Amino acid sequence: MKNREELTFNEGFVDGTPILLGYFSTAVAFGLICRNINLTLIESTLISLTSFAGSGQFLTVNLLSAGALIIELFISVMLVNARYIFMGMAINTRLSKDIKGFKRCLIAFGTTDEVFSVSTLKCNELNFPYMFGLQLSSYSGWVVGTAVGYVAGIFLPPDLQLAMGVTLYAMFACLWAGEVANGGFPILCIGIISALINSLLYCIVGLAAGWSFVISMITATIIGACIIPDEKINQESLTDNLEQPLDKTILAEEKSSCLQ
Amino acid sequence: MFAVKQPIIVVIFVVSLATLIPRFIPYYIKGLDKLPYFAQKCMKLLPIAALGALIFPYALTDFLTTDVWFAGLLGTAAAFFFGYRHSNMIVSILASVLVTYITLGVC
Repeated sequence: MKNREELTFNEGFVDGTPILLGYFSTAVAFGLICRNINLTLIESTLISLTSFAGSGQFLTVNLLSAGALIIELFISVMLVNARYIFMGMAINTRLSKDIKGFKRCLIAFGTTDEVFSVSTLKCNELNFPYMFGLQLSSYSGWVVGTAVGYVAGIFLPPDLQLAMGVTLYAMFACLWAGEVANGGFPILCIGIISALINSLLYCIVGLAAGWSFVISMITATIIGACIIPDEKINQESLTDNLEQPLDKTILAEEKSSCLQ
Repeated sequence: MFAVKQPIIVVIFVVSLATLIPRFIPYYIKGLDKLPYFAQKCMKLLPIAALGALIFPYALTDFLTTDVWFAGLLGTAAAFFFGYRHSNMIVSILASVLVTYITLGVC
C-alpha cells in the first residue's frame, strides 16, 4: 500500500458528494414510504438519524406495515445488515492505528455499502478527517432526504396515495434488478426462490410476517450459496446496492488512480 | 391501509441496535477473518435473498382490497425494468407509481 499524502476532511467530503446525491434520492423514497405507513415526520427522520442503513430501514417499514413483532424486526434487520461485518473488517485493516474511542465509534456507525467501496479503493491509509468527511456528506444526504421526501408526500392528491403504496416494492425491485444486471441469472433465481417460499409461508401456512421473512431469506441464501460458483460473488455486486450510475464513475476513477 | 401497532420509539431503538451491532463488531472483535468461506459467501448473498421475500407476496396482497389486484405487480415490474437498465432509483420509483396509478384508474 502506497502511503502518499495525508487525506483531508475536504477530500472525504468531496468523495462523498456522489454518495450524498444517491442517498438523497433514495431517502426521499424512504420518506414517502414512511408517510404511507402512518409514521410522523419526527419518527421517520429519527429512524434515518439512528440507523443510517438503506436496506435495513426499508425492511423495517415493510415488516412494520405487515404487523411484525419487535423480535422479528430485530432478527431480520440484523441478518440483512450482517454484510457490514465484512465491510467493517476491510475498512478496519486500512485505518490509521491511532483512531480510538469516540472517533472509532463514529467510523463504525457510518459504515455503509457506498462508504465502504469508496474508502477501501483509496490507496492511502484512511485517517479520521477523511473518513469523517466521507461519512458526514453521505449521512447528511440520507437524513435531509428522508425529511424532504416525507414533506413532499403531504402535497400529493389523495387518489395518488393508493398508487404510492407501490413505492416500497418498486424500491426493492429496483435494487434487485440492479443486482441481476450485475450478477445474472443465479441472482434472479435467489430472489424468486425467497419470494416463492415467503408467499407460501405467509399466505398458505399462515406464519407471521417476520418469521416467514427470516425463514425465506435464510433458505434462499443457503440454496444460492450452494448453486452459485464462487467466482460469481465479488465485492462489486455486494457493494452495488444503491444508486449505481453515480458511484460507478467514481469507483472507476478511484480504481484507475490506485493502479497508477 | 396500514396500521403500526407497536410503540414506535422502541422499534426505532431496536432497529438501530440491530444495525449498530454488525457495524461495531469488526472494529472491536478480532479473528473474524477466520470464518469459513461458506459463511462469508452466505453473508454476501443475504441482502439479495431478502429482496424477493420483501416484494412478494405483499406487492400483491396490498392491492387485494382494490378492484385491480395486479396493479402492484405491474408497478413492481416497471421498477424492475428501469432498475435493470441502471436508471436512477427515483426515476424507477416514479415510473412504477405512474404505472400503478394508471392501472388502478383504467381497470
